[in-house]
Amino acid sequence: MGRQEGLARLGVDPVACEGIGICQHVAPMLVRADSWGYPIVSNRPLRGAARRAAEVAVASCPRRALFVDRPGRSRQVE
Amino acid sequence: MLDAAVRYPPGASHPVTTLAPDDLAAHRRRYGERWREPRLIDTIEYLGLDGRGGGRFPVAAKWRAQLAAGGGGVVVANGAESEPASAKDAALLQLRPHLVLDGLAATAEAVRAFTTVVWVHAGALASRAALARAVAERRRAGLAEPPVQLVVGPRRYLSGESSAIVRALSGGPALPEFRRVPATNRGIGGRPTLVHNVETLARIGVAARAERGPPTTLLTIATAAGRTVVEVPSATPLWQVHAVRHVQAVLVGGFGGTWMDAPAFGHVHAGSLPLGLLLPLLDDGCGIGHTAAIADYLAASSAGQCGPCRFGLRAVADLLADLVELRARRRDTRRLHRALAEIAGRGACHHPDGAVRMVASALRTFAVDVRAHLYGSSCRHSGEGGFFPVPEAP
Repeated sequence: MGRQEGLARLGVDPVACEGIGICQHVAPMLVRADSWGYPIVSNRPLRGAARRAAEVAVASCPRRALFVDRPGRSRQVE
Repeated sequence: MLDAAVRYPPGASHPVTTLAPDDLAAHRRRYGERWREPRLIDTIEYLGLDGRGGGRFPVAAKWRAQLAAGGGGVVVANGAESEPASAKDAALLQLRPHLVLDGLAATAEAVRAFTTVVWVHAGALASRAALARAVAERRRAGLAEPPVQLVVGPRRYLSGESSAIVRALSGGPALPEFRRVPATNRGIGGRPTLVHNVETLARIGVAARAERGPPTTLLTIATAAGRTVVEVPSATPLWQVHAVRHVQAVLVGGFGGTWMDAPAFGHVHAGSLPLGLLLPLLDDGCGIGHTAAIADYLAASSAGQCGPCRFGLRAVADLLADLVELRARRRDTRRLHRALAEIAGRGACHHPDGAVRMVASALRTFAVDVRAHLYGSSCRHSGEGGFFPVPEAP
């Protein structure tokens, strides 16, 4: 596990997300819309400006569907 | 585990078989007593046992995660088997219910769980009856094991998905949910929860005994003539399981699986399949036609919770229907490929991923037919190819 793995990443809860689209406008460097208007989020590790943009996107979501995965917390087992 | 092929006629949920379901006495004669082995997890790891519900996730790793979260959790036997073409789990529940329940008890002991649940579909009447009988028999015999609760879930494709089971048993709807923390850490009512497919549990039941024999795999072969469940050594190449002659292609692993053409599928080993299910297509059938029917079924089976699945799978199914009806243009195939690329990996569960995998493999395997449907005036195929009838979309 390198240093890259330890960095935070932006994630989206696809069940909570309703495709409202505010995140795509406030953080275009991290989020783009698919053919149906739902967000495709970058899975690049967040540093510097990207980290701050991610926090803004998380705060802007009316459905609270976005989150920043903190390092050291495993997401998947199965 | 099954010793003989089990055949289900078209549309039937009861097998045509002379094999009687094992009662507790017959079960003990066949397998002997289960060992109360304190280090069963090491045996499981040594055998390399993995999940047979489609995920192939190592069993020992799941147990470690459950143990790390502290004991007192729940173990769930997933007997839902939503895949319409599959019958291997039903065959196990109907003929070897005690082996599954042994695996469930052994797992509960190994991960120090106090509660065990068996989850089955409402429609699975034969499996439910066999299970209820077996559970009552064990209770009468006074076996020292956690009480088994039989829970019946709604008859929907996705109610067999493991996060949907955890959600339903926590009091919610039987729909998949997005989990940032795995159920082995925090599942039903916040307790660590382990969900295993029933074939996985049967294999754990076998592993907890002295006589094990070489590793085997259960396979369902589904055609227009019905479904047949066979057990073969895991190293068996598929050409020994199903004849390659007159077979154009095989959908390997179910509706969310992969299309492979005839020479290629024959070299795959039975034990390497994510899900032990083969759907052969003979020479006279149109692979694109069946792919479109399956895509429509999968789109209609979406829980409709995640946008990319809800809208994306419908778009893919509609584009495929246009292709089948010779209405599609070249730009439609580009739209199809783009939709597939956009959907993959974006649902809360793996339902859309399976649909994307199946359609993408069809476009590769039936590339000649795709061109014939785009530029030709008719489909090259005249029949159904003896393919398993895709059920009406729910």
